Amino acid sequence: MAKTILEVENLKKYYIQPGGIFTPFKGAKRIIPAVDDVSFYIKENETMGLVGETGCGKTTIGRTLLKLTPVTAGRIIFDEKDITQLTPHEFLPFRRQVQMIFQDLDAALNPKMRIRSILKEALTVHHRLSDAEINREIGELLEKVNLKKSKLSNFPGELSGGEKRRVGIARALAVGARFLVADEPTSALDVSIQAQVVNLLKDLQKNLGLSYLFISHDLRIVELISHKVAVMYLGQIVEMGMAGRIAHEPRHPYTSILWSSLVEKKSRETTKVSTDSKKGTWGVFDFERPHTGCRFAPRCPVYEAKGKPSICNEPSKAPQLQDIGDAHKVRCHFPL
Amino acid sequence: MIKGPVLTIENLRTYFYSKSKQAFIRSVDGVNLEIDKGKTLGIVGESGSGKSITAMSVMGLISAPPGVIIGKIRLSTESIQKNLLQGLKDYVRINMSTGRIMEIYKDNVGWQKNIDRIMYKIRGREISMIFQNPKISMNPFITIGSQITESIMLNTTIKNRSKAKERALYWLEQVKIDSPRLRYNNNPHGLSGGMCQRAMIAMALSSEPSLLIADEPTTGLDATIQSKIVNLLAELKSTVGVTTMLISHDINVIRELSDQVAVMYGGTVLEHGPAKDVLSAGYEYKHPYTAALLASIPNEQHIREKGYLQAIKGDVLDTINIPGGCRFHDRCEMITNKIKERCENHEPDLKDISANHKVRCWLYYDS
Repeated sequence: MAKTILEVENLKKYYIQPGGIFTPFKGAKRIIPAVDDVSFYIKENETMGLVGETGCGKTTIGRTLLKLTPVTAGRIIFDEKDITQLTPHEFLPFRRQVQMIFQDLDAALNPKMRIRSILKEALTVHHRLSDAEINREIGELLEKVNLKKSKLSNFPGELSGGEKRRVGIARALAVGARFLVADEPTSALDVSIQAQVVNLLKDLQKNLGLSYLFISHDLRIVELISHKVAVMYLGQIVEMGMAGRIAHEPRHPYTSILWSSLVEKKSRETTKVSTDSKKGTWGVFDFERPHTGCRFAPRCPVYEAKGKPSICNEPSKAPQLQDIGDAHKVRCHFPL
Repeated sequence: MIKGPVLTIENLRTYFYSKSKQAFIRSVDGVNLEIDKGKTLGIVGESGSGKSITAMSVMGLISAPPGVIIGKIRLSTESIQKNLLQGLKDYVRINMSTGRIMEIYKDNVGWQKNIDRIMYKIRGREISMIFQNPKISMNPFITIGSQITESIMLNTTIKNRSKAKERALYWLEQVKIDSPRLRYNNNPHGLSGGMCQRAMIAMALSSEPSLLIADEPTTGLDATIQSKIVNLLAELKSTVGVTTMLISHDINVIRELSDQVAVMYGGTVLEHGPAKDVLSAGYEYKHPYTAALLASIPNEQHIREKGYLQAIKGDVLDTINIPGGCRFHDRCEMITNKIKERCENHEPDLKDISANHKVRCWLYYDS
């Protein structure tokens, strides 16, 4: 049984929107629950996929795991230690082990630094190395990510998308990471290059025993690379389980809409359910319509079909994430 | 009634001069395309293959220095039959044997004036465009309603503001924005990404163009919204029937919406034919590049077995130093010993294999 490398318990991250200078007249500051009571765990050598629409809080989870943004409540246990309580100095050894592959290729690499300096900076920030050691390490890194040595003297702007992505991965590996948060690593890439990057991530996992949190809205890639998948909606996990089951036997109405809306599947009948745009903003927190009870109810086809049962709307009876067997959890009163 | 294709592109070359490299970047290098009336031409290819630059050349959006265009872009509609690149040849020196641009003469101002003189009646009126990022492409200070109204008053015969407003509301309804009267007064940032893209489509269609260029209309949208925009475009295709040039790197989107497909690589068209043939996995006569592209999409089998994807080895072509021979030969997996020599040294032509289907590959020369 593999060891649990990361455990997240009741993680909450609320952003506060200040009221502005007219606060006394227009009401106080507003709270946006970007991540609301999320729990999951990831084992060593395992990949968890995190899917959901824009604004559902997937990237926020990734950022809190790296302590790039402080949490409001909850615990993040990495290697049996709660990292939310650590001071920046105490956190340093963990920073080495948890790294992120950022979504925006161009913003993540300094345009005025050559690739060699980018990698060198990452190598020397935690360890003191001699020049010869640095050269050797850089050579090893390039081999790990299949990058040509001639690219070292180039600037990021001179590389193609796939190469930039590989530099990003190499930099994350440079410090000796064991756990990678991959935030939309393939979203900006073409299919041919996307395949290269996905293969590389799989190879690295096999050879180095890495664990990933794979954040993406490309459902096919998530299903392909992940062992288990969590589906998020408005800051909450609505369904979680093994990748194959989530994709082929979804129990939450939202998951089934999400999967059936793949352009490739052409299932016009099923997408009709989701084409109703009249009901609330898509996946984004709406102040005018505070969510009481089930958050998905306003868009839910099951809620509609069952004649709008009151249980879905009652604040005190908000659905809980309940286990329905085989490590499959779903947050719904009427699972499919 | 005009016969023949609405848009004919002949031997289009769009180069950019790189000062640091002291050389031309050959973004588009000899493209031939045709779009028939009422049909949709899909252009697929990796980033850097020149698909967007082709669209921008048609739209006349290439700025004079460092860009340079030669070739023929012929637009023939009811009101205009014209080569959009008329007279631009005088501004460049061309190598007679290869047809490549050698040098730009220094008259940049004249070049720009020439383009603007030809394009000002066409841009927006005859050809309109849906851009990739709707929020950036629209004016953030002006409500979407008045932007569409303005476009109608400029580009159609309706010059009365209240009538133009009615027309704008009609188009907002056509693209399935709910309560158009309410949304008319929204600024672009007040709409969600999908809604904004719909408004953008409404604006492009409102001038009733002869040709619509859609440059990556679904990229950057969520899966659920993406499928809705695709459904909308498919519906508009049947109701409005506008001739469309659709650019995307998403093969599924192209397959869904196009009649004809052109596969671009390194600035040229490698394959051109009916969408159902070119993009179906079982079709026999296919360019190796198209086959490799299709294979790299994760399919059911990959996902079930959690196996590796079939990646195309190597990287996208460097368009400054295009190697001799076939542009794809470095990455091609179907080179046989028999044709190896030809692949490395001579570039094949776009050859007809069957009716309407052309492939640029030495593999199909002997058969």
